[in-house]
Amino acid sequence: MSDLRQPPSTTLGPIDLRLPADPSMSRVLRLAASGVASLSGFTVEEIEEIKLAVSEVLIALVEHGVGDHVDVRFVASSDEFTVHGSTRATSAVDEHAPDLALCRAVLTDVCTEHSLTIDDEAVRIAATLHRPFSGI
Amino acid sequence: MTDFPNESFTIEVADDGAIVVTGDLDMAAGPLLDATLVQREEQHPVVIDVANVFFIDSSGLRSLLDASRRAQARDSEVVLRSVGPEVARLLEITGTTGQFRIDRRDV
Repeated sequence: MSDLRQPPSTTLGPIDLRLPADPSMSRVLRLAASGVASLSGFTVEEIEEIKLAVSEVLIALVEHGVGDHVDVRFVASSDEFTVHGSTRATSAVDEHAPDLALCRAVLTDVCTEHSLTIDDEAVRIAATLHRPFSGI
Repeated sequence: MTDFPNESFTIEVADDGAIVVTGDLDMAAGPLLDATLVQREEQHPVVIDVANVFFIDSSGLRSLLDASRRAQARDSEVVLRSVGPEVARLLEITGTTGQFRIDRRDV
């Protein structure tokens, strides 16, 4: 039987989650990301960075999508953690949606790379944290 | 519409009038924090104790910044009391430290 507590030498995932597009899912998503990152051997400090990135991903999806659910994928290896997210969008501009300046600022600092696109069909976001993490 | 209770965040008002925030200051906490801050805005300054905040993201920060902007419009300010490393880091990342009077947590 394999020991999942040991850092795997290969990629863990993809791990796909479909969640209600609700702010309360932020904590759920962070807990899930923490578990995946822990299995992959990331340190407590690194996991805090991953949790922040994951939370920002959900902010972008919930505040700028119109779907009733969001799809999130985690892929982790011993030196890299990637989160992909998507949800349905619309061409109508929601003037009340908060701008993403703060969200982008956090992702820029925490992540090695990230991308965010919003078009008529979907909000798509990807964020990758590669060791060594910039914030630690 | 299903309600998802937020059990990871509470707000209390201390005897000295400070708004004491406990838990994760994330997207789920925003509406409750916003409502509390609006109710307490007659205070000068508005004091928010974040000693027990160990996670904050940009949506939580946005609530704090909105309170700061409203306070500045009244020639007042927001004091963040007992700021720990998690809150301090997010303020630094986003370049928003100057929007608040900062009282750091003793470590």
